[in-house]
Amino acid sequence: MRDVLSPFTAWKHLFREPVTVLDPLNDRPGADRYRGFHQNDLEKCIGCGTCEVICQNAAIDMVPVSDPEDGDSGLRPMIDYGRCCWCALCVDVCMTGSLTMSNDYVWADANPDVFRFTPGVDPKPWNEEEKGYQRPGARVLASTERVHMGERTAKDRIDNFEEIVAGYTREEAMIEADRCVECGLCVATCPAHMDIPDYIKAIREQDYDKGLQLLYQTNPFSEVCGRVCTHNCETACAARHDGDPIAIRWLKRHITDEVPYERYVDLIGKPEAATGRKVAIVGSGPAGLTTAYDLARMGHKVVVYEARKSPGGMPRYGIPEYRLPYDMLDRDIDVIRAMGVEIVCNTRIGEDITMETLRADNDAVVLSIGLHLGRSTRIPGAESPDVDTAVPLLRKITDGEEVPVPEKLVVIGGGNVAMDIARSMARLQQVKHGKVGVTVTALESFDHFLADADEVRESREEGIEIFDARGPQEIVTFKSGKRKGRVKGLRTWLCDSIFDDQGRFNPHYDESDELVHPADMVIEAIGQAADVSILGKDLTEALEWTRGRIRVDVDGQTSEPWLWSAGDCVNGPDVVHAVADGHRVAQSINAMLAAKEEAAT
Amino acid sequence: MRALYDRLKDRFQLGELTRQRPDLGFVTVGRDHLRALLVELKDVEGFTHLVLFTAVDWLEDGQFQLTYLLNNRATAQDLGVRLMIPREGASMDTIHDLWPTAETYQRELYEMFGIDFPGSPRVDEDFILEGWTDLPPNRRDFDTKEYSEATFAERAGRESHDPRDHMKQKLYPDGE
Repeated sequence: MRDVLSPFTAWKHLFREPVTVLDPLNDRPGADRYRGFHQNDLEKCIGCGTCEVICQNAAIDMVPVSDPEDGDSGLRPMIDYGRCCWCALCVDVCMTGSLTMSNDYVWADANPDVFRFTPGVDPKPWNEEEKGYQRPGARVLASTERVHMGERTAKDRIDNFEEIVAGYTREEAMIEADRCVECGLCVATCPAHMDIPDYIKAIREQDYDKGLQLLYQTNPFSEVCGRVCTHNCETACAARHDGDPIAIRWLKRHITDEVPYERYVDLIGKPEAATGRKVAIVGSGPAGLTTAYDLARMGHKVVVYEARKSPGGMPRYGIPEYRLPYDMLDRDIDVIRAMGVEIVCNTRIGEDITMETLRADNDAVVLSIGLHLGRSTRIPGAESPDVDTAVPLLRKITDGEEVPVPEKLVVIGGGNVAMDIARSMARLQQVKHGKVGVTVTALESFDHFLADADEVRESREEGIEIFDARGPQEIVTFKSGKRKGRVKGLRTWLCDSIFDDQGRFNPHYDESDELVHPADMVIEAIGQAADVSILGKDLTEALEWTRGRIRVDVDGQTSEPWLWSAGDCVNGPDVVHAVADGHRVAQSINAMLAAKEEAAT
Repeated sequence: MRALYDRLKDRFQLGELTRQRPDLGFVTVGRDHLRALLVELKDVEGFTHLVLFTAVDWLEDGQFQLTYLLNNRATAQDLGVRLMIPREGASMDTIHDLWPTAETYQRELYEMFGIDFPGSPRVDEDFILEGWTDLPPNRRDFDTKEYSEATFAERAGRESHDPRDHMKQKLYPDGE
């Protein structure tokens, strides 16, 4: 019976969708995940060249397609189909997921040269094809997760200024270094153009001596930058597109941690023979000391004048010790001293010695005085004795001078300096009162916050309250009684936009959303200025200025032929930028001195 | 699959059963029990079809992993039998008498990994790599890139750019 009926049961398949291809001579689609001809999403591709490196047939060349910019080389992969074996390793390793394969596999042409093409750039019928091989999920050939950095808990750190970040162990650093694909996109973004891929490679090869030598080729402030650099390199890192960027800053610090300090000077090598030329530098921050380091290594005699008790500039007097221990800063400075640089502290230009004297006694003078004056909001009440600016307060804390520590205070500002003073004061409060009472009011909303995300997170962990998008209107003071004139709080309005249509700073407030933050003290951390009063009247008038800053050319030279200026006072605050600036100025001065030498002979 | 494993594990001293899917599992076995296990699976348990026979090079461990993938048509199940053999002088017992198709897989493994199967027909004849004299190319110590660079002519007009050097040249040629 079954044998009789079974032929008819096959009829049920009649209306099923056929699994065969209707017109196999003309229509021959590849399988859905077929590894066919390459596609490249040009918007996603960053030209890191990792596809070229992994290709086992050397089929890929990186060719210029657009102008390079931060984090994008402008190069794109060109593939030689005379060599490609369609193994898809290039797709698997792709750092952004831009490189994929269509399921198209039919391409006939009499001219063999057409089979070298740039996917995504050259118009091809398969450019928009959805089917084909794509990497399943995130990339797996290079790990996407950053090795966690150990740090002390908020409870352990709130009553002291000990360093928070632990630093990587060798094992951790090796794993983190192993995530780097050595594309080098970061080098252009680093202001000092540090040799990042090679020093990370030195960690991988456990050759720390070489790592340190690479650091010192471009940066004599590696202890400092390994801790507090703005690490823009990490925003250009290829790894960030599909995971965490490489912890470049922590790896730099790891190298300095691993090399015994006694070996530093030997590894860097001796300066060149003395030239007899003399250069004076005003200010011993990263810009001034980098200039000094470079010039001393070139054989010139350098004396650095510092107004404060100790050298270091902002890294010492602006950055709290829990971020940058002073003995680490001293290590950087002592290496610079070992190159023959003389640093004269407690010497203020304009009082102890004048610019004119420096000019007369030296072949060149460098002004690297940083931004050490705090700016005021000048809102009503700002003249109260309970109102201070952040930078002078931070300096007093560094020098161990007494500062007022009320139970409740408000910080105005949303940048890293605001976080530094807020967190420093919180520590002093914890010691004095056993509790933290700090409120930060920032003009920016959290979407456009100025301070680093880590700073915000750590501040909150330490019990600091942060209000975003608050515009300060008035520092409220007691109008009568025993505390007349003393601070009572800060009145703020909601700030709904900071810039106007032309992009000018012109905050707009919502007056209906008003808050009064109670406080016994208000600290303004809204920006800094250079103390240019040291220049004297004649020099101030002789120099050319641009928007309140001394005008310098690309080499850092001012309008006076004997005077250069470097660092924050001309470029705004950024430590690694200051280092880069120092190199530039040293090169320029050296070229001037060489020209002088030539003219003399 | 679990019942099958329980029936066989003690007799053939199988390692743990890894169930990749309900209809796909893997077991490990020692070399002494391999042939007996394959015969049992084929003649008694219904795994009559050799789907594939392949190897993985565990270079760092100095071993090759062999995988015999068998299929039971009646139950629509696949079972992979795995074992490790030393990489040095790699050699394995032939199974071409159990499945004639094994002859082809064994020729491939001989050519691509250098694993010998003494007694297997034509095992040392060229398979697809005619005139190959280098290391077997699927061994991980074979440097594909070095080989292709040494063997194949460079096409004229090719030029590549290092991203880092290219950016320096375009963005800060004077090192600034």
